[in-house]
Amino acid sequence: MTKNIQLSASLEDYLETIYLIVADKGAARAKDIADRLNVKAGSVTGALQALTKMKLINYAPYELISITPEGQEKALEIIRKHETLSDFFENILGVNSDIAEKGACEMEHAVPDEIIDRIILFSEFIQACPKCGKNWVDRFQSYTQKLHLSSSESCQTCLEDTANRHKKEIAKMTDETEPQTLLDIKPGNKCIVQRVKRGSSASKRLAEMGISRGTVIEVERVAPLGDPIEIKVKGYHLSIRKNEAVNIIVEQQ
Amino acid sequence: MQNKKLTVAIAGNPNSGKTTIFNAFTGAKQNVGNYPGVTVEKKEGTKIYKDYQVNLVDLPGTYSLAANSVEEVVARDYLILEKPDVVINVIDSGNFERNLYLTTQIMELNVPMVLALNMADIAEKQGFTFDIAKISKFFNANVVLTIGSKGSGLNELLDAVIDKANNPGNIDSANLINYGDDIEKELDKLSSVVNKDHTLAQKYGRRWIALKLLEHDEDILSKEHNIEVLEAAHESASKLDKLFGDRPDVVIAEKRYGFISGVHEQAVKHTAQRHHDISDTIDTFLLNRAIGLPIFFLMMYLVFKLVFWAGDPLMGLIESGFGILSTGISNIIPDGHLKSLIVDGIIGGVGGVIVFLPNIVLLFLAISMLEDSGYMARAAFLMDRIMKKIGLHGRSFIPMVIGFGCTVPAIMGTRILEDKKSRFATILILPLMSCGARLPIYSLIIPAFFPVQWRGFVMWLMYVIGIILAVILAAILRRTILKGQSGIFLMELPPYRMPTLRGLSIHVSNRSWLYLKKAGTVILWISIALWAATVYPKPSAESLEGLTAEQVQQAELEYSIVGRIGKTMEPVIKPMGFDYKIGTALLGALAAKEVFVAQMGIVFSVGETDEESDTLRDKLKNNYNPLQGFCIMLFCLISAPCMATLAVCRRETNWKWAIFQFVGLTVIAFGLTTLVFQVGTALNIGT
Repeated sequence: MTKNIQLSASLEDYLETIYLIVADKGAARAKDIADRLNVKAGSVTGALQALTKMKLINYAPYELISITPEGQEKALEIIRKHETLSDFFENILGVNSDIAEKGACEMEHAVPDEIIDRIILFSEFIQACPKCGKNWVDRFQSYTQKLHLSSSESCQTCLEDTANRHKKEIAKMTDETEPQTLLDIKPGNKCIVQRVKRGSSASKRLAEMGISRGTVIEVERVAPLGDPIEIKVKGYHLSIRKNEAVNIIVEQQ
Repeated sequence: MQNKKLTVAIAGNPNSGKTTIFNAFTGAKQNVGNYPGVTVEKKEGTKIYKDYQVNLVDLPGTYSLAANSVEEVVARDYLILEKPDVVINVIDSGNFERNLYLTTQIMELNVPMVLALNMADIAEKQGFTFDIAKISKFFNANVVLTIGSKGSGLNELLDAVIDKANNPGNIDSANLINYGDDIEKELDKLSSVVNKDHTLAQKYGRRWIALKLLEHDEDILSKEHNIEVLEAAHESASKLDKLFGDRPDVVIAEKRYGFISGVHEQAVKHTAQRHHDISDTIDTFLLNRAIGLPIFFLMMYLVFKLVFWAGDPLMGLIESGFGILSTGISNIIPDGHLKSLIVDGIIGGVGGVIVFLPNIVLLFLAISMLEDSGYMARAAFLMDRIMKKIGLHGRSFIPMVIGFGCTVPAIMGTRILEDKKSRFATILILPLMSCGARLPIYSLIIPAFFPVQWRGFVMWLMYVIGIILAVILAAILRRTILKGQSGIFLMELPPYRMPTLRGLSIHVSNRSWLYLKKAGTVILWISIALWAATVYPKPSAESLEGLTAEQVQQAELEYSIVGRIGKTMEPVIKPMGFDYKIGTALLGALAAKEVFVAQMGIVFSVGETDEESDTLRDKLKNNYNPLQGFCIMLFCLISAPCMATLAVCRRETNWKWAIFQFVGLTVIAFGLTTLVFQVGTALNIGT
């Protein structure tokens, strides 16, 4: 329903201000609004009446002003637009924060929802997509200062850098989805227990035998038939089956 | 002089040398029994020292006093309920930290404690030095360095025990471990609730109960509690769970180890750089990927070689000893019932069983050596993959090896399996391990029917058939009626140790004595009863007129009780190639397998007239063919286990499983033996 209500730029400013004051103090008075927006108290009344007519606020002369659910939704939408724009200006385009704030204040009323949504997606994309990444924005920043692209030679190094970075990130991603377990440690190597997977009924037994967070485990050997494995922990030898070892999350030393 | 009495419990981890110290104190004078209600072995003994009579109790070896297994509950209950004057906690000094985990728990039970830092010589070689005074302070215990295998430090240990008994000091040591503010707060809160519960609190101490409740200890939870306490415990536990992101019992165990590493840091110095010790070097061969398994099979082969090759000459000696005895008695006592009773019934029956004592002794010697040296755990490690495939544990392997000695201790040995279903499956298949009592049957039959070069193979074959059947049955059981996840398989691989002569001899003599006792009691009475049933009633003199000596013997046997029962069941056992004589022996074998041999001896010797009688083997050879001989062994291997096994199986499980085992195995035995005999006869093999 709120989507259909078209507000003028100044009414949007009023609604935004009322929302902020209500959030701050619980209720707003005409005088507070006039002070914040730096206008005369008289012109406030007209705007309040207009907003009341649109059922965005509850207002009667000489009473405290509160905001209706519809008004709240509308106000949040305006604030979101404002923040998205100022964010985009400051973090991606690299404009200083005062100018970004001012630009956002003016543009928030004019920019259609669709464009705002796209800007949000675009900002997310730049930060999330490994192909662009933070580095990409940084390079753009330096470009804005030098106003020219680097030479073709450094374009090559750039691409190599990017490729390397991608490789590392790929490794990190697979690492995060499947953490290293005791099973991944080759005989003769040591590792430190990060944690024992919860829910495995064995976790108590393991803890009693001295295997818990921080324990150093040395993998000694795998049995001739491939299972179980022999480990050394706290100076003694223990045999553990592979389907138990997989529950012990470790970091190779 | 009146001795002052002291009750001292010996507690410790498995492989800590606990039993070695116990044996050193008590010697062979041990009283082996069971803890009431469970089949955990309870060993007691007495040591007179200075003016004290020290009654020692060897508690089961455990890693913890949580209620993970029956052993742990037994050890814990003994310490709490029996309140020994002092507990000796034996520690493997070379494995200090892990061993101290149990110590922290004993400490919390408020029992005066003496720590025996055992195997001090090995620890010293590894470069460890211990600050006795500091350790003593940490655990509020007297601390003594001992070398159990060499008997050193043992008098000092007793002095420390007596000192501790007289000056227990402040034994309210429960507060020695601080579990950290968060856990302590919940402990305090829970303790105050538990306070109302008088009986439990008096028995165990409030804080201890609170701790066990937080640890979700099944045994304590199942003890009488009001809802209020349980709810408070649940609330505290879930609060801690959220706080630490892990189960409270795990966190508490971690805290205990935290305390221990504090002790370790302050009281233990490690000077020498630890190099690979001998044990590690041995393992690089024995657990080697390529040669580990071949060595294992060679080892098993050598065990059998030892048992049978070394045993046979000794058996011959005993056999001829009984022969001389028989002849001697025959010469003294005039012909008649009494002579028949003694020579045929008692010497024929009991003697036939005692003959196999050398084999039994050697088998238990081999098993004890494997166990005491630490190789048994390696065997379990090597075999686990296979055991897992059939749904059992590598550890099931140990009772199965013991099963070659006797099924009864083997079933008791399944206690080391924590998972109930795989334990039951192991119990059910254990009778298929050819036990020491099958051995006399094999030893009787095989030389009678098979040429020398085949004897070893046939013997091996019998054992292998049992093993293969056990594997198949276990796999079936674990996939049908005993389906379920196996529990965790965590097994310590203790350092290799030279078995001590004392340990071996005590173990072997205990077991052999049990075998002899059985021969002297159960089997003696069964032999007499079977003899009587074989001899009486006698047919009238006129019905025997005009018959040859052999025909007389035949007629007399058929007329007797055994003969009549045997005749009645003959149609049933005929498909397996058995006649009524074998049938009677099989009946006897229900009581104890070795009675089969005794009864065959009685059946074939009764009514003998000529002095120079053939040996039993010759008689068998004249009466049956090799196929029948093989079928006898096969049926004896698979069919219903002996009464002692039935009884212990019932005690470890319940009547349902015991009867299931009894009937199931007999049915399988009947089916398989019939199959073998019929196919063998049709193809003319061994007939």
